[in-house]
Amino acid sequence: MPDKSSIWDKPLWTVLTKDLTCEFRSRQALGSLGMFALITLACVSMSLGGAVLEPQLAAALLWVVLFFAAMAGLARSFVQEQETGTLFTLRLYASAPAVFFGKLMFNLVLLMGLTAMILPLFVILLNVDVLLPEVLLLTVLLGNLGIGTVSTLTAAMLTRAQGKGALFTVLTFPVLLPQFLSAVSVTTQALNGAFTGYRELLFMAGYDGLMLAAAMLLFDILWQD
Amino acid sequence: MKVVLALWMAAVAYGVFFLVPPAEGLGYLVRIAFFHIPVAWVSVLAFFQSALEAFRYLRTREPRHDWRSSAAAALGLGFCLLATGSGAVFAKLTWGAYWNWDPRQTTIFVLLLIYGAYLALRASLEEAELRARISAVYALLSFLTVPFLVFVLPRFYYSLHPEPLLNSTGRLQMEPGMLVVLLAAVGGVTAIYWQLWRWQVGRQERQYEMPLREGVNR
Repeated sequence: MPDKSSIWDKPLWTVLTKDLTCEFRSRQALGSLGMFALITLACVSMSLGGAVLEPQLAAALLWVVLFFAAMAGLARSFVQEQETGTLFTLRLYASAPAVFFGKLMFNLVLLMGLTAMILPLFVILLNVDVLLPEVLLLTVLLGNLGIGTVSTLTAAMLTRAQGKGALFTVLTFPVLLPQFLSAVSVTTQALNGAFTGYRELLFMAGYDGLMLAAAMLLFDILWQD
Repeated sequence: MKVVLALWMAAVAYGVFFLVPPAEGLGYLVRIAFFHIPVAWVSVLAFFQSALEAFRYLRTREPRHDWRSSAAAALGLGFCLLATGSGAVFAKLTWGAYWNWDPRQTTIFVLLLIYGAYLALRASLEEAELRARISAVYALLSFLTVPFLVFVLPRFYYSLHPEPLLNSTGRLQMEPGMLVVLLAAVGGVTAIYWQLWRWQVGRQERQYEMPLREGVNR
């Protein structure tokens, strides 16, 4: 029977630990994700040949790299369960919110790992000066929360669809776009130091909150069968 | 009904070309607006309708709500393309560039992306019940981006787009004659959309009921 007492109960953490253990054993996602991010950044850096980037351009590049690296890595969170035939067992074991938050947390761990790799490389390879590192970090945190939330839901939608990889990006991008635009704008401010206030960060946080609430409700519908 | 609609649109076209005075600063280019505004209005209307029917589908789980939702989305994509195209031409003639990521252009572009993604999602799901359920979830999820796009984004970026008809000051800054023609055009295009939508839904209903016609009471 699915456990319905509280979503913060054992199943949530079990789902998270299970995913972490699988990942630790196979290193499937992190390996390919890390290489993907490295290649994209190197691609940009090499083709620019050391030219100095305008803050706005650098911010846009950072988010494009982050977004596509996330898209490359997060598509698999439910597809994997489907392929190995464990989706049914998962459905028996845990309730919808537990699965959603377990998967979301795993995705967030992946995203944070990815960011921890991309950000320093970005600063080193593209020769960018970050004038307000704390603003940049906050932006990336809020941005990752949004990407993680939306993509956990869209990944769940695509478990039984054809042609998953391309469709995943197509589905996720329009929903993320409002946040993507303000993330680029705040990152520009963090890079050039002309920080105009917390309004856009508040906007991102509001977006995250709304998406989190909506994703929780909508995931329930996806999960029942 | 169709004849009335055709006559109505002919009258609107006559009004646009012979009655409407050239607008200040725009001249006769304003005629594009009589196509652009109704089409843009319908593409937003279709989006709302699609989300509403998606919600009703999830409440009732009746397939007809799914057909309505998908028909609205498919037509919405068409109208959205027309709105984007006419808007781009208008922008080229008045602002000097087809596309410059004005907030309104961004908004309509996102709408286009959402419609495209929704239809691509539908195409990739084979089982009817699953397709209905998942695409309804996506329609609702993408609907949530609307407040951010419509109300929040334009405050961050400066827009060249003329104030929409229903603007924040609550006043209509338009000549009465022009306004009448514009409202007639909006009404006519909405009626065309409605007709097309009914026809689409009806076609899907017939397709669905064909194999079940004998002995099934619905």
